[in-house]
Amino acid sequence: MAATDFSFAENRQPRHPARLLKAAAAYLAALLATAFFAFPVYWMVASALKSDVDVAAYPPRWSFEPTLQNFHKLFNELGAWQAFQNSLFIVGIATCLAMIFGTMAAYALARFDIGGKNVMAFEILSVRMLPPIVSVIPLFIIARQLGLFDTPWLLIAVYVLNGLPFVVWVMRVFIQEVPQSIEEAALIDGCSRYECFWRITLPLLLPGLAATMVIVFMFAWNEYLLASILTSRDARTLPVIAASAIQPKAISWGLSSAAGVIMSLPVVVLVLLMQRYLVRGLTLGAVKG
Amino acid sequence: MSVEINRVSKRFGALTVVDGVSVDIRDGEFFVMLGSSGCGKTTTLRMVAGLEMPSAGSIRIKGRDVTYAEPRNRDIAMAFQDYGLYPHMTVEQNIEFPLKVRKVAEGERKAKVRDIAERLGIAEFLARRPMQLSGGQRQRVSLARALVRNPHVFLMDEPLSNLDAKLRATMRAEIKQLVSRLGITTIYVTHDQIEAMAMADRIAVMSNGRMVQIGSPLEVYDRPKTKFVAGFMGAPPMNLFRGANVNGRVTATIQPFADGLSDDDRASAAALGGAEFHVGIRPEHLVLGATGMPGVVNAQVAFVEPLGANTNVYLTVGELSFVANVERTSHKAGDVVEVAARPGHLRLVTGDEVVPAA
Repeated sequence: MAATDFSFAENRQPRHPARLLKAAAAYLAALLATAFFAFPVYWMVASALKSDVDVAAYPPRWSFEPTLQNFHKLFNELGAWQAFQNSLFIVGIATCLAMIFGTMAAYALARFDIGGKNVMAFEILSVRMLPPIVSVIPLFIIARQLGLFDTPWLLIAVYVLNGLPFVVWVMRVFIQEVPQSIEEAALIDGCSRYECFWRITLPLLLPGLAATMVIVFMFAWNEYLLASILTSRDARTLPVIAASAIQPKAISWGLSSAAGVIMSLPVVVLVLLMQRYLVRGLTLGAVKG
Repeated sequence: MSVEINRVSKRFGALTVVDGVSVDIRDGEFFVMLGSSGCGKTTTLRMVAGLEMPSAGSIRIKGRDVTYAEPRNRDIAMAFQDYGLYPHMTVEQNIEFPLKVRKVAEGERKAKVRDIAERLGIAEFLARRPMQLSGGQRQRVSLARALVRNPHVFLMDEPLSNLDAKLRATMRAEIKQLVSRLGITTIYVTHDQIEAMAMADRIAVMSNGRMVQIGSPLEVYDRPKTKFVAGFMGAPPMNLFRGANVNGRVTATIQPFADGLSDDDRASAAALGGAEFHVGIRPEHLVLGATGMPGVVNAQVAFVEPLGANTNVYLTVGELSFVANVERTSHKAGDVVEVAARPGHLRLVTGDEVVPAA
């Protein structure tokens, strides 16, 4: 789009070099900004592909022989594959549960006359007010008692509880933005409350759901503190593995970069999958009125 | 009876929004609830729709008690002020939706959608989404969606107030024609007295959660019962002159007007005793230059508003000011004119606190 404007300016108004300069400056700024944000990503991917010698070299080597030895080590010696599966299972289920329960709670808070619903909403939020480290010891003791320690179920429960307040608060706003008359029209057109939610409200919430889901997923996917204390072997997740690249004596940059790459992939995939809805969110706003 | 509303009230906490409203709406009737915002007309409509539960009273549709029934089990349809269209569906899917929910077979569905869309002149937009339509087109879609399944009662909540004045006038006539041809009982809520006059078979004027007066448009216009109705209907509104009972005689701030009341009105005024009442006369029922007519009053012209077809002449008598609506006139501000009321047009209007015998 901008490119066509550019050539137009060139063809039809050669007397305006100032415009040309402005466009060029804008491109340059955009390039710089992109480079600024893309560089760490490049650096991570590059370090993951470097050998131990290359990664430690100073000044940094820009050209090197790419190797998969870091990934090899990650999967074969550190059990990253198991951790990846654990992460996917735990975070996937936790995200789904948090989204389902959170959205339903948000709907009730947004739409129904419930006594003291503001107190309720605040109480839900209060879960997030404590620093997570405060809850680690009690959680540990409870998990031991229940025999849940080092099982995926414990982390699923913790991540659902962690994600819930966020989902409730964000989805509540999204739901409030759906005009009430649309739902009322559906109720009169023959829907029950339940059908109305599924057939009318939910499709209108997709952009909001997508955005919220990506964030909840990322919270849980990257969570380290609780995962490191509440698991030991069987239920270890990726962040724990990634952190194990940091040893008391030395930090294995190549290894932790490789873990970083593995950890980023699902998030990137998720965002790409959700992109359709995230973009639709922008156009949906134009419907109202 | 199509819809029976029986002593229905709605309270939100300490606030009473609808206060014991009762009315029976006949089959095929076009019933308009008219009032300014906050008078309880929309809440009453929403209780008929089942979107709001009454705090007291009962509602029957087709003789069946639906006071607490779900909206979908009431055999009603509704058009909203902001249309309430489903933004993620095409026009066709919007209109089809009530049939689909009710599991009507696809062939029948498509035929009905096409039929109603053609009737409302929106057949060419079926593939579009609501956001690609103008306000008037959207309202047509919402009417089509409401009418496609042939409901027993059609509820409309200020459906025209988001449209511009010209479109409003056209749509007004269209809606009226459409529903009377279909013979559907309609309850229509508006704050626009012209809309109410133009469309209604009967009007209920509402104020403070009560139906102050129910009657045919001309009845309500000609014989407003209370000060509120007299002021709400007509532009400019009815002229009111404070009345009183003095030693068994009915008086008013302009005495000839009190003398011009009918015998019945005078008797009713006397029966009101010390309660507030007024003598009312519509601006168009005042005659200027009324030399020789009984009950002539000398008034000064304050200013003149020529409107083309007719003219508003603002008059004063002492402290009192009132309006006459006459044909073109040569009177100017400052002139003194002889004013009289056309015989038979003076009305007794009670104060708002005086509850009229319903």
